[in-house]
Amino acid sequence: MAQKHRIPRETTPQTPQAAKTSTTATAPTAAQTTPIVSKQAAAAAKQQINSWDQVVRNLTNYYVDSTPQRTKLIDAFMAFLVVVGALQFLYCVLAGNYPFNAFLSGFSATVGQFVLTASLRIQTNEANKSDFPSVSPERAFADFVACSLILHFFCVNFIN
Amino acid sequence: MRSLLSVLLVVFVAVVSAISTTGDRLLVILEDVADKASYSTFLGDLESRGFKIAFETPKSESLSLFHLGERAYDHVIFFPTKSKGLGPNLTPQILLQFINAKGNILLTLSSGTVAPTSFVSLLAELDIQLPVDRTGLVVDHFSYDSASAADLHDVLLLPAPENLRRDVKNFFGAAESDDEVIAFPRGVGAALGSGELLTPILRAPRTAYSYNPKEQAEVVDDLFGAGEQLALVSAFQGRNSARFTLVGSAEMLQDKWFDAKVKAVGGKSATVQTFNRKFAKQVSGWTFQEIGVVRVNWIEHHLNEAGASNESNPAIYRIKNDVAYTISLSEWSWSSWTAFKVPANDELQLEFSMLSPLHRLHLKLDPAQSSPEAAAYTVSFKAPDQHGIFNFKVNYKRPFLTNVEEKNTVSVRHMAHDEWPRSFVISGAWPWIAGIGATVTGWVAFCGLWMYSASPDKKLAIKKTQ
Repeated sequence: MAQKHRIPRETTPQTPQAAKTSTTATAPTAAQTTPIVSKQAAAAAKQQINSWDQVVRNLTNYYVDSTPQRTKLIDAFMAFLVVVGALQFLYCVLAGNYPFNAFLSGFSATVGQFVLTASLRIQTNEANKSDFPSVSPERAFADFVACSLILHFFCVNFIN
Repeated sequence: MRSLLSVLLVVFVAVVSAISTTGDRLLVILEDVADKASYSTFLGDLESRGFKIAFETPKSESLSLFHLGERAYDHVIFFPTKSKGLGPNLTPQILLQFINAKGNILLTLSSGTVAPTSFVSLLAELDIQLPVDRTGLVVDHFSYDSASAADLHDVLLLPAPENLRRDVKNFFGAAESDDEVIAFPRGVGAALGSGELLTPILRAPRTAYSYNPKEQAEVVDDLFGAGEQLALVSAFQGRNSARFTLVGSAEMLQDKWFDAKVKAVGGKSATVQTFNRKFAKQVSGWTFQEIGVVRVNWIEHHLNEAGASNESNPAIYRIKNDVAYTISLSEWSWSSWTAFKVPANDELQLEFSMLSPLHRLHLKLDPAQSSPEAAAYTVSFKAPDQHGIFNFKVNYKRPFLTNVEEKNTVSVRHMAHDEWPRSFVISGAWPWIAGIGATVTGWVAFCGLWMYSASPDKKLAIKKTQ
């Protein structure tokens, strides 16, 4: 992983300061790629794939570099919840919804957990600090734990 | 002495019990009490079966069917009277009131006398039509007694009645041999309405017809009825199981026809014995509730599920419960209660109904709970998936049998919240249980990682202190 995100850094002549904020990072790369496309129209398709590749790579790099450890953890957990929820929904579509309360409780457990985790992500994000002046990350996590426990209690009861 | 008394008492009880189920007070109404001599065998048979017979004439001052609002007699026989009216004690209203009070009436007519208006009104009330001029004569030129009515053809010879329907027990057809015939001398035929309470016991043969011998002595041009239209002996049983029988010919109950030898026209044998005495016993026995009386001994229903309490007749069931219902029936047959057997082509049915039956089920004989005196019929079923107030209903109404209409009300409740199967019992729910498990496990792991991963500003703080 560490090897990979050094490669685009070498190809792009941008300074490391470009990765500090999102607005400053995207503007130079876009300015540089557009002239290349206009000059070599014959290899446009290849160039476009390359440019899209670059966009994704840039995004990934930016995300990996600038996202705090805890936010990454939250994102991983949310992705896991999406997968689990999608599997349950798929099972319901394929195998029928009997017993319906079990489907509701299993599916709503993942959905509810996703929502609570999203709330935690918003409240603990540095960028949103001004919106929640009175909510410290510890307080947000405590809220998250309490609400999750209530959700789990409800779901386990409802599935009977 | 005491033992002799007790023996006498036992004999007395036995004699008393060997009669009708509704009582033994029989009133016989005759034109003249002296007339009873001609019916002595018939009345003697009744007396020997345990009836206490009282004789009255229609004009008697002391005649009253009711005493202090209660029936004074249990059964009444009317023999033909010459008078046109029957007087104030036997109005059609009183006779109907007597039937409504579960009294039984055996009414006999004769072509020799005009039926009193009181009877005509009563019969009209029961949907039985008599000829317009209140008299008539049934003749048959193909099956008459050539010994006694060679010219007039007015003594009909009839075989014992066939079974009315395939699903009805025949109470009147038990002839000992096929040769025996019923003599029906100089009788009146009646036309029955289509009501379900009316049943013909004996119909006229296809070649018989009814006419008025006084007005149509020369030419018969206007018939009251012909063939099987004419009911010679007919039965009416009310919804209260009171019975009324109309016998078209009183003469057939007389002594001279009980052991008469008759000769059928074109018959093979010279003379045959009439079946009248046995037929008279059957008709009077049926009318006076000595046969064909069905009694419900007990009804029992219970929850029929393994591990559940087996309490009898609970007031409440749950939907989809397995329920067992049993009804015990006896039939009075002359002198004793016997097990009631449903005829071979008939079914006894149970309805489990709320407004309309949600179940209609065949009750089957249960030999384990039956005895020679009582037959138990049982059925097990699953209560419908519908809660509410339900009735166990047995509604068995057949010709010649007293009505059985039993209704037992129970509540059927819905499932309680803890009576549903748990999710882990249903294999279809396992993926969703696993989904909750995965969510909870993932959450626990997430919380652990969260607390172990240092927050960015703490990292900074640590770096700063270093």
